[in-house]
Amino acid sequence: MADERPRQILAALGGVDNIVDIEGCVTRLRCELRDGSAVDEAALRRTGAHGVVRMGGVVQVIVGPEADTIAGDIQDLL
Amino acid sequence: MKLRVGSPVAGRTATLARVPDPVFARALVGPGLAVWPEDGPADAVAPIDGTVATLHPHAFVVAADDGRAVLVHLGIDTVERHGEGFTSHVVRGESVRAGQPVLGWHPAAVRQAGYSPVVPVIALDATTAALAIPPEGATVGVGQELFVWSPRQA
Repeated sequence: MADERPRQILAALGGVDNIVDIEGCVTRLRCELRDGSAVDEAALRRTGAHGVVRMGGVVQVIVGPEADTIAGDIQDLL
Repeated sequence: MKLRVGSPVAGRTATLARVPDPVFARALVGPGLAVWPEDGPADAVAPIDGTVATLHPHAFVVAADDGRAVLVHLGIDTVERHGEGFTSHVVRGESVRAGQPVLGWHPAAVRQAGYSPVVPVIALDATTAALAIPPEGATVGVGQELFVWSPRQA
């Protein structure tokens, strides 16, 4: 079964058009967004994210050590 | 089996709550202990025997055969250094022994660049109850025991 998380996370971040840049770190996705208010934190948590941290214009989605893989999959959807 | 997690760096221990990053301070990816490193330059070593499951210039995960995995993060927000000042001694997927050099770095240079050089050592997805963590403020040598991780409860 394909991992649905990349698609779900992308949707919860406001969709393709809201993404300026997304980068996977060891534990988190660092998401630079056009409109930070478009983020659906509840939906992100439903994907299994451990948390959502906002730092300035960057929204960090804490997904655990698979962050790299998920970031790559999201990049493929952009 | 109890997993003895060794310190990847020499330094002084501190609770995760003191780490200037909410993800580690709130143990969002797991409990553990942090180490304020000596100035260096130095090699950060594998905390346990296992396989290098994740490898970045500034961080790595070693996974034991039973699936338990330990994350070592060299400094805070050091991903923004894009590898500058970091040297890798292994490749992803490589088998390592506890104490084997994984990443070379320079904590003093990290600090001079404006980043915290603190090193969170995280028992990924562990429960707090599974870790025996000694009080903070201890001096540890590289490879010396940091904390002990009990097996998952059935």
